[in-house]
Amino acid sequence: MVDSTVRLREISRRSALGALGLGILGATAASWPRLTGTDIPGRNDGSLSIAILGTAADAAARQKAVDAFRRLHPEIKVRVQGIQAVDWKDFFSKILTMVAAGNPPDVVYVATEGAQLFAEKLAHPLDEYLRRDAAAMQEYFADVHPSLVEAFMYRGSLYQLPMDWNAANMYYNTKVFAAAGLGRPADDWTQQDFRAALAALRKANPGGFTPYYWTNRLFGGVVPWLYANGTSFLTEQRASGGDWLWDRFYAKDPSRSARSGGYLWEAPNAADPKVFETFDFLRGLVQDGLGVRPEEGGGNSLVGLFASGRIGTTPAGGYWVQGLHSAGMGASDFDVQFFPRWATQRHQFGTAGYAIMKTAKDKDAAWEWIKFSASREAMELVFSTPTTTPARRSMVNEALYAGKGPAHWKVFYDTLDRFPTTGPIPAPPQQAAVETALIKNVSLAVSGDERQLKSALATLQQDLELALRRAA
Amino acid sequence: MSTAVAPDASAQPVTDNRRRRPAAPAGTAPAASRGSRWLAWIFLAPTILGMGLFTLLPIVASIALAFFRWDIISAPQFAGVANFVDVAGDPTVRIAFGNTIGFVAVAVVLQLGVALGLALLVQERLPNWLRVFFRSAFFFPLILSAASVSIFMKYLFNEQFGVVNWLLGTVGIPAVPWLTTPVGSASVVILVYVWQNFGFSFLLFLGALSSIPQETYEAAALDGATGWRKHVHVTLPLISPTTLVASVMAIINALQVFDQPYVLTRGGPGDSTRTAVMVIFETAFQRLEFGKASAIGVVLMLLIMAVTALQFRLSKRFVFYQ
Repeated sequence: MVDSTVRLREISRRSALGALGLGILGATAASWPRLTGTDIPGRNDGSLSIAILGTAADAAARQKAVDAFRRLHPEIKVRVQGIQAVDWKDFFSKILTMVAAGNPPDVVYVATEGAQLFAEKLAHPLDEYLRRDAAAMQEYFADVHPSLVEAFMYRGSLYQLPMDWNAANMYYNTKVFAAAGLGRPADDWTQQDFRAALAALRKANPGGFTPYYWTNRLFGGVVPWLYANGTSFLTEQRASGGDWLWDRFYAKDPSRSARSGGYLWEAPNAADPKVFETFDFLRGLVQDGLGVRPEEGGGNSLVGLFASGRIGTTPAGGYWVQGLHSAGMGASDFDVQFFPRWATQRHQFGTAGYAIMKTAKDKDAAWEWIKFSASREAMELVFSTPTTTPARRSMVNEALYAGKGPAHWKVFYDTLDRFPTTGPIPAPPQQAAVETALIKNVSLAVSGDERQLKSALATLQQDLELALRRAA
Repeated sequence: MSTAVAPDASAQPVTDNRRRRPAAPAGTAPAASRGSRWLAWIFLAPTILGMGLFTLLPIVASIALAFFRWDIISAPQFAGVANFVDVAGDPTVRIAFGNTIGFVAVAVVLQLGVALGLALLVQERLPNWLRVFFRSAFFFPLILSAASVSIFMKYLFNEQFGVVNWLLGTVGIPAVPWLTTPVGSASVVILVYVWQNFGFSFLLFLGALSSIPQETYEAAALDGATGWRKHVHVTLPLISPTTLVASVMAIINALQVFDQPYVLTRGGPGDSTRTAVMVIFETAFQRLEFGKASAIGVVLMLLIMAVTALQFRLSKRFVFYQ
């Protein structure tokens, strides 16, 4: 009796355990598509895979453009994938991880920061497609400033078509300016005029207020000041080539002769006395309480602080308008002006566009997507609000800024027309290492005495040498 | 009395079916034993697979990769010990390792000190229901994402607009550049790290303290040990095994610190808060030097192993097992 009870108990236990094991195996088998990601719509079904920086919601926001594209090309399935990242550098790291995992997207939306990294390592040139579809593309290039296009030239080949862009202009809070007795700055205001304006703002707002807020990054940090002073922290040269594009699409442009095969940033330039002079100017702003010590990777709270009147001025591009509007600023509560003049009034800009990956399964389909995305129809679907500045001049119009401001929205595109030497973010293929070298030394350079500034610039020069020496 | 609860084999009745089975021939296992072994492997398989795939394989692959140059895009090229030579000559790596060791020295002492102090306070001074509350409250930061906490803290410690400087301002203290000076940023990184991590050590210490018999303290009191002497001569020796475990875990975790300095300061200003794991991340995913990043990882692994071995060696002198 006892014996049979024990046997029954053992069989029952083993059966239960066996059933449990089988259950786990069954569940694993049933969820295999989920575990391996093969159930994701568009994966492994021949869809054109497009990666953009953003959330799933950002990807979904492009659905109208995708639908319009599918009406034109029903044979091409499209899957837009939003990849969340802190900044472009982080986004590119994630794309590289996808490449390493053997699952690269076919098309990637790449900003200036990564343009040369992609051109050098990952992207397929658009030259053959542009030559083939030159007639169809004529209208696009007629509407886009050549400076934006040149930013995507690399050693004579074009790798992307600019879709949107932003220059580092100077935003100011009009109410705060008025309270300090300041009017709109002149178009050609100098760095000393700028400093005087900050001093007036500080005098009118002694505490809890920052006259000039700036961030420590490649765009909008120290670089616009370096450009304005006719220098940069890297040497800037131009590659030969690219005539095939300039002669075909910009033959009559006044700046045709100045166009090249793309920018080259191949050596450090932090030892240039003008770089010291520029940093010293910023150090003076920090010391006198006119500007903040810039935090590394900062700027997250900037819109709210600016909208609440706690910041007087800050450099930003057209991408800021919608954010300020959403934060409650009226069209006349803020305005934008060109960056101050120093030795020059050269501005800094960044642009973005789609790049075809070398590994793309169907490059022709990828080109059709890029060509469609460059059309006015697609751009109006994607850039319906001023969250950025469209690359097409004709779209930067009264309607885009109606009811939102700024009053002088023309400053955005005029930056390119008025200052034709305006250049892109200096981003060689080693951009991530270069950016790290720059931002890690900026805070120290502007936070201490002159000796600390010299030491920080010497370190910057060494760090840049190391960053540029490394293979990209 | 059930046979299942017999305290030892000799007490089991002869009706036990396991006893009555004939012995298996030499070299073969009985069917039931073979079945049990099968079952054991099935149950061990997920752990073995998980450890093999996600721990052992990456370690081996990482060590192997340290001898190659690889940028993720092109095929890896054998480089011998070039990556290790590169690591030895890289000033940023040296600074990052120095920062990491300094961070560990300060953060771990603070973490264990705060955890032990609060555990003593909660154990001795608070009623049981409040103990339960504080157990959860102090552990809570640990379950939060380190990145989210760091983003939040970044706002709090902002020089111009942060709540911390606002509070200091209310008592006449001028704004402190928390995140833009080397001393300030290192202090904030340590503070945020300790705040988020002391809860685990606190729980360990609380458990150890509650297991000390009250009679031991009574005997110590009779011998004249009260106040601090009681803790120094009774409490600390009795919880020393827990202190060893807590310190080993705290040091291993602190040597791998990444989230807090990455989000709060990005390693700056300068290299003042750059840590070893940050350099690994930057070398691999920003500079695309995966071989060199692996070499730094191997050096860090050896450092962790050496520190842990040293701790266990020292524990023979300082740890008291009852």
